[in-house]
Amino acid sequence: MSWIQELNKTYDKALKGVSIQQDAPLLPICHTTQNAHIEVTLDGSGSFLRARALSKDERQTVIPCTETSASRSGRKPVSHPLADKLQYVAGDFLDYGGEVTSGYADNPGDPHESYLELLQAWVKNDPQPKTNAVLRYVKKKRLIKDLIAHYVLPVDSKGKLPRTIDAELKKKYPALSNLVGKELPDSIFIRWAVELGTGAPDASLSNDRNILDSWIMFYENSKEKYGMCFVTGADGVLLAEQHPAKIRNSGDKAKLISSNDTSGFTFRGRFLDADQACGVGFEVSQKAHNALRWLIQRQGLRSDDLTVVSWTTSGKKIPSPLLNTQEMIDQALRELGVLPTADESEIAHGHPDNSDYGQTFALRLRKMVAGYTVTLGPTDGVIVMALDSATPGRMAITYYRELTGSEFLTRLQRWHSKVAWPLPLSTKDTFTDTESTRVRVVWIPCAPSPRDVAESAFGRRITEKLMKATQERMLSCIIDNAPVPQDLVERCIHRASNRAGFKNNIEWQKAIGIACALYKGSNNERSYSMALEPERRSRDYLYGRLLAIAEHIEARALYVGGEDRDTNAAKLMQRFADHPFSTWRIIEGGLTPYKTRLQSRRAPFLHQMKVLLDDVHSLFVTAEFNSDNRLSGEYLLGYHCQRLELRKKADVVEDEDKSVNINDNEEKGE
Amino acid sequence: MRNAIEFTVRGVFAMFTDPLTKLGGEKCSYQVPTYEALKGITKSIYWKPTLIWVIDRVRIMNPIQTQTRGIKPLNYGGGNDLAIYTFLSKVEYQVQAHFEWNEFREELSADRIDGKHYEMALRAVERGGRQDVFLGTRDCQGYVEPCKFGSGSGEYDNRAEISWGLMFHGFDYPDEIGKPEFRARFWIPKMEKGVINFVAPSECEVRKFIREMHPKHFTEGSTFRNVKEGMDQ
Repeated sequence: MSWIQELNKTYDKALKGVSIQQDAPLLPICHTTQNAHIEVTLDGSGSFLRARALSKDERQTVIPCTETSASRSGRKPVSHPLADKLQYVAGDFLDYGGEVTSGYADNPGDPHESYLELLQAWVKNDPQPKTNAVLRYVKKKRLIKDLIAHYVLPVDSKGKLPRTIDAELKKKYPALSNLVGKELPDSIFIRWAVELGTGAPDASLSNDRNILDSWIMFYENSKEKYGMCFVTGADGVLLAEQHPAKIRNSGDKAKLISSNDTSGFTFRGRFLDADQACGVGFEVSQKAHNALRWLIQRQGLRSDDLTVVSWTTSGKKIPSPLLNTQEMIDQALRELGVLPTADESEIAHGHPDNSDYGQTFALRLRKMVAGYTVTLGPTDGVIVMALDSATPGRMAITYYRELTGSEFLTRLQRWHSKVAWPLPLSTKDTFTDTESTRVRVVWIPCAPSPRDVAESAFGRRITEKLMKATQERMLSCIIDNAPVPQDLVERCIHRASNRAGFKNNIEWQKAIGIACALYKGSNNERSYSMALEPERRSRDYLYGRLLAIAEHIEARALYVGGEDRDTNAAKLMQRFADHPFSTWRIIEGGLTPYKTRLQSRRAPFLHQMKVLLDDVHSLFVTAEFNSDNRLSGEYLLGYHCQRLELRKKADVVEDEDKSVNINDNEEKGE
Repeated sequence: MRNAIEFTVRGVFAMFTDPLTKLGGEKCSYQVPTYEALKGITKSIYWKPTLIWVIDRVRIMNPIQTQTRGIKPLNYGGGNDLAIYTFLSKVEYQVQAHFEWNEFREELSADRIDGKHYEMALRAVERGGRQDVFLGTRDCQGYVEPCKFGSGSGEYDNRAEISWGLMFHGFDYPDEIGKPEFRARFWIPKMEKGVINFVAPSECEVRKFIREMHPKHFTEGSTFRNVKEGMDQ
């Protein structure tokens, strides 16, 4: 597959427009990022000028690294060439009581020796003034002495580095403030700055292109393994011996290409060793991994171990596939600014759902897609990639698709139209006069995101593993137009029918909305509308409507009587879904006292409701009405649509009765 | 000399492993079959050392979908690991292949009989193959049926060209190239209207030498025997 070639292309294109000083830098090859604690400034001849502790924003540094040091771990970690921890750079580390990592216990001087050796070889190969200065200073072996003398590092009573750090010490010496838990001052990471005088404005070594290139050239020349690259097909190129880790985050030890698995059966048989089985060019590997790391940091979505990232090789903006419609439109507004107006007549003809909800939704979606289409060129390809790991050391590509830009947008649009349904979403209203904010719930037609679906199907307290697996399944539905998994649909419907299982009303209504959305999406051929369809005569739909009407009548009667109970319909909803005919008789029978009450106090309303009930009854085919078979998820569609319709009506009817709209109370949560 | 067969192979899962992901153990499949995998399927249908199968073209019938599964691969020293493999799911391919005589097997030149192998291959295709058919790796079972190449409608019949980057083509085994070398070939596949036309192995430009390997020799009497001899017994 060409994921590694695509990443390479992305790297080359992105490099032109990206500077190094950024939150998520696109790293040059042979470099990695590390959080440094102290910056030591030297002058051109290698004398100590000053040192300072770095604040949180400044800590991230681009440092040169070798293949082994980039993915170092364990008890004997290899040193970085230039900037590293105290045990490597400080020649007087042991004199001040520093403890080396346990693997070096036999030969505690080893870390510093190997560091010095590498730095010397580098400077000898290409004597840059800055690195030369660093080398001269390090050779003097007085780093810790200078740091202590300048009050950057503390000493204890014996004149050694302290073995315990308390909060007071952290306040006094800000360099220690980043140490976590039981970390000793030995884990302090030093970075260098060299002031060469008035000619050179920038003292840092990580921004200096000369230093970066010098290291890259030296390192590539020092490697000796050449062979054929499986990615470009070129022969006689420098091969990577180890591939980078730290792809998803800086603590991630998982590698995408692991090159020496001799403990398993991965290449045994025809191949005698790993090099025979596969070889990747060094530059190709570095560039591809750096590009992937950068993309994940900027625009990747993470859920437990799963990371989903989608990008264009040209770096243009595209919508993220795992968001719900509202989040996606918000992101589009943020990234693109004003959206262009879409052709309104096109929408009216093209879209089957001619309700108000349907039309506004289609319009907003079209606008968003049009906004992205303007920026994407005809040849821009979109790549969607998902990475997952079963073990901490290795990563697998679990999903990979290459699409053209227009195809990607079309598929997204198709998904969002397919499963759109009015969902209760919270919006913040800010009042400029009082400067307060209010969170309000509004019904917006929206396609649920995989996260919403997972929470609705499995509950709020879903485990991370299940959440991740569900998101991965839904990714295929979104991009590949695969059918929505039936088990998810069934679960959502089942959970939504059990009203008693929800803590508050909003959650329950959201669950209903998502269940309806999924049911509608998996039965696309029946083209359900987001608004009430008065002509639909299918049994389940009509039963749902009946339930909604009965609930409405009872709720009004309870309100009028000042009682605060649940309605019968609400209590019997689950049973209604299983045995509609018999449960309906119970519900209808139970309505009689409430009808009497309403007859005296809300006669016009009651009349309206009676007419509505009769209408719905007449739409039934008698044989279907008398059957007690289980209802499919369609009843939720009827129920929900009828509820929303009655809500709208309630505004009108209540105005006539001159009393407060009770449906707002219902929505406020109980 | 007639030597071409056409068949369709389908399966629930397929794994045409990408060599980049093979080493790490988290195998990911290519999106289209490799020449070597199809050659392996054809060899499972019918093969004798006298001949070499050459795959002409393949047609992809179903939409390319992937499915991941968690696997517990075994370790060499005992125990097992955890890995995630990405398979292709619900695959169906129509394949057109023909065989050529293996000129490097002089000892079998008496077996190059016109019609014999062709008839046997046809019969084998009708019966679904002589040996187990698998799609890339042994755990992806495949089923073979005879068919006419180009019949039926495929998912990609109306698609313009789709191309992938450098992909594995096949292996050069010593008995088929005449040298004691084991090599790997690579090429850049292109799918036009759902059909991939393979280049012949000799025309692949990118090759990697893997190691030295020696071919197995067949001698009459010890490693194979004449049919008449068997019947007498």
